[in-house]
Amino acid sequence: MSRLEIRSEVTGNVWKIEVSVGDHVDAEDVLLILESMKMEIPVEVPSGGTLTEFLVAEGDAVEEDQVVAIIEVDT
Amino acid sequence: MNMSVRFKIMIVLLPSLLVGYVYTPLQPGITMKAAVLHEHNTPLEIEEVQVSKPGPREVLVRPVAAGVCHSDLHFLDGSYPHMLPTILGHESAGIVEEVGSDVTYVSKGDHVITCLSAFCGHCDKCLTGHLALCQSPEVSREADQEPRLHQNSQPIHQFLNLSSFAELMLIHEHALVKIREDMPMDRAALIGCSTTTGVGAVFHTAKVEPGSKVAVIGCGGVGLAAINGAAIAGAGQIIAVDMVDSKLEIAKALGATHTVNASSGNAVGEVIEMTKGGCDYTFEAIGMKTTAEQSFQMLGSGGTATVIGMIPVGTMVELHGVDFLAEKKIQGSNMGSNRFRIDMPRFIEFYLSGKLHLDEMISKHIKLEEVNDALEALKSGQEARHVIMFDS
Ligand SMILES: [Zn+2]
Ligand SMILES: [Zn+2]
Repeated sequence: MSRLEIRSEVTGNVWKIEVSVGDHVDAEDVLLILESMKMEIPVEVPSGGTLTEFLVAEGDAVEEDQVVAIIEVDT
Repeated sequence: MNMSVRFKIMIVLLPSLLVGYVYTPLQPGITMKAAVLHEHNTPLEIEEVQVSKPGPREVLVRPVAAGVCHSDLHFLDGSYPHMLPTILGHESAGIVEEVGSDVTYVSKGDHVITCLSAFCGHCDKCLTGHLALCQSPEVSREADQEPRLHQNSQPIHQFLNLSSFAELMLIHEHALVKIREDMPMDRAALIGCSTTTGVGAVFHTAKVEPGSKVAVIGCGGVGLAAINGAAIAGAGQIIAVDMVDSKLEIAKALGATHTVNASSGNAVGEVIEMTKGGCDYTFEAIGMKTTAEQSFQMLGSGGTATVIGMIPVGTMVELHGVDFLAEKKIQGSNMGSNRFRIDMPRFIEFYLSGKLHLDEMISKHIKLEEVNDALEALKSGQEARHVIMFDS
C-alpha cells in the first residue's frame, strides 16, 4: 500500500466534507467541496483507496497546493 | 458534568451527526423548468427542478432574459471545476416574484439585474470597498441546510450563487440590484456580467486615464465592453485585437480607433508600432497563457496589463523579468472590481444616453430549449451573444 497526499488546486474555504476517515473511495470521488471565488469546487481523489487522514475541517481556509487529506492507495 | 467532559462528548458526537445527516427536503418547493448540466461536455438537459422557499434574506426572481456567456463554457467543459449537477447561467435580468421575511430592499414586481458578486457587507473586503472579492460563505446556504435547488430530493449545486438558465432563481438579497423599469430586459441582462466585467475592468481595476493608449485582446462580449468602457473613459487610442474581422468591425462601432487581426501572427509588434512604443493599458479578455503574456508584452514603460479572461486552473503565465525595470505591471480583474449596486444603474444611464452600446452585442434571442445551440455558437467564436428570453 502506498500513501497519497491529496492537494487542493485552488485557494478557498472548506464548505462541506463528503467522506469520513476509514471510508473507501474510488477514483474521481469527491472528498470535499471548496468555496472559492463564488464557485463550489470539488477536490477529487485521483485513484481509489482508503481515506486515512483529513487535515482540514469544514470552515477552514485552504491554500493552493495545500495537502487536505491522505489516502492509502489500493494495491 | 464538567466542561472538558462535555466538550469531549461534543467531539465524539459531532462527526457522527455530520456523517449521519441525510438530506430531506423540508418544503415541497416550487417546480420549474431548467437546463441542467449532469456531466461535463454533455448537452444541458431541460428538466423539472424544485426550488426551495425563500429564506429570510433570500429573493425569488423570475428571469425575463439570460445571456449565454463565454464563462459558462469553462464550466461546461470542466476547465474550471464545479460540483455537478448544476444549472449554468449567470447573466440575467428579471422580476421579483417573492421576498424573504427580512428583505426590505426589493418587493414583488421590482425589476432587477442579478450579479454573481454577492457581498456580505461586513467582511474586510466589503468594508474596504472591494465587494467583488467578498468570500463570505453566508450569501449561500450552509452545508446542512436544505439546498436552494433540488431534483427528486437530490441537491442541484447552484452555480455562482445564481443559476440563471432556469425559470426561477432563488438568490441572496445581496446578489441583485433594483433597476428602472424602462430599461429593456435583454440589454439589462448583459449588464449582469459582460458589461460589468469589461467596463468595470477599465473604470475600476485599471482606472484608465483620459488620453491614454489602450489595447484590448479578444473582442467577445467582455472585450467589446472593455473597448466601449475605454471610449467612455476618454482613452486616446483604442486598439482592438481579434482573429475575426466581423468582431473587429463591431469593435470599431463601439469606439476602437485601430484594429489588429492577430491571425497575421505579429499582434504584439503591430500594437507597439501603432502606439509608438507600447500601451499605457492593455486588457486580456480571452483567458489564455499566450494572450496574457502578449498583454504584458504590448505595454510601454509604466504600463499596466489587466487580465480579465479566465485562464484554466493549473496554467502558468511567463513574463520576461527585465520588463519589471520598466515598471510594467500585470494584474487580474474579477467581475470588473464591481460595486454593482452603484455601477449597474450607472451603466443603464450610459445605455439610455447612447454611450454604452448593448444592441450590437446581441446576435439572437432564443428559448431556453435552444441553450445548447447558443453554447455551440460561442465555441465557434464567430458570433456575438445569444440571449434566452423566458415566456412570461
Ligand atoms: Zn459571464
Ligand atoms: Zn463581504
